[in-house]
Amino acid sequence: MRARFLALAAVLIVLGASASPARADEKVWSGLVLATNVAHPAPPPPEVRRLRDTLQRTFGYNQFELIGQAQQALSTGEENWAARSKHFSLHVDSRGATPDGYRLKLQLYQDRQTLLETDATLSKSSPLVIKGPLIGAGQLLLLLVVQ
Amino acid sequence: MKTFEEKWTAWVDDELDDAERAEFEASLDDRAVAEAEKLQARRLGALLKEQLQPRPFANEEFFHHQLRGRIAAETKAAEPCRRPQERESWWTIRRLLWTGTTSLAIFAVCTFFVMRQEPAPDQSQYLTQILKAKVDPDVSPYATVSIFQTKQDRVTVLWVDGLKTLPAEYAAK
Repeated sequence: MRARFLALAAVLIVLGASASPARADEKVWSGLVLATNVAHPAPPPPEVRRLRDTLQRTFGYNQFELIGQAQQALSTGEENWAARSKHFSLHVDSRGATPDGYRLKLQLYQDRQTLLETDATLSKSSPLVIKGPLIGAGQLLLLLVVQ
Repeated sequence: MKTFEEKWTAWVDDELDDAERAEFEASLDDRAVAEAEKLQARRLGALLKEQLQPRPFANEEFFHHQLRGRIAAETKAAEPCRRPQERESWWTIRRLLWTGTTSLAIFAVCTFFVMRQEPAPDQSQYLTQILKAKVDPDVSPYATVSIFQTKQDRVTVLWVDGLKTLPAEYAAK
């Protein structure tokens, strides 16, 4: 009798753990990426690795170099942060979480000049890539990924 | 060494041997009084023996018969009450507990499989949505904005054309 009860309890615990996995703290990674074409491309940074093929196919560059990045844990869903390089900064203003993602207000600055403003709903399963200005022979890309 | 009381009791009960009795009687202050007390004690003992003897049952068999009959009647009266109680108490605490636990287990299993079939929220049909995009017209008067999604990786792309091209030093980290 006791063994049966223990077995049943174990099954319930396992099922409970499987059915309702604990939600880990989510983080939003934002990066300023310089895409270029070179003869021998360096491996992409880990944050970009998953998207490398898509970026290469979409924008036509074979090397992706990180020139600025920031990672922010979203606890309340209303946080502010910025990914910066020497001349660019991507300001992210989180406006809360919705069932389909995080409402974000994004502002791209070149030095102190606003280049672009956009409002977006960032989904965990769907990264956001923004095509920025051409820089020399390369292209500035802005990436936002929920991790 | 016997005390006086022990010797007195033994003397009253005639349990002393001749030497002890002679010695004890010699030690008495007033033997006549002692003999009177001894006589009274013996009378009292005889009276108690006579009065405390159990009385014989004149109708012992009848009494036992009555007793057995009453026990049998009470047993019969208790049995019909017990049977309905047993029927009603099929839902014992243990069975209730097991039924509840089993129901919970079945519910958990069903929930588990139903939730497995539905897409997880993290991998839902939701794609990143661009709600609004604006390029400063003073800085980039010819800029255009378009939005599309790639099938692979479900990437949402905000494609901005017409931004001013910058020299290579702007790529500094």
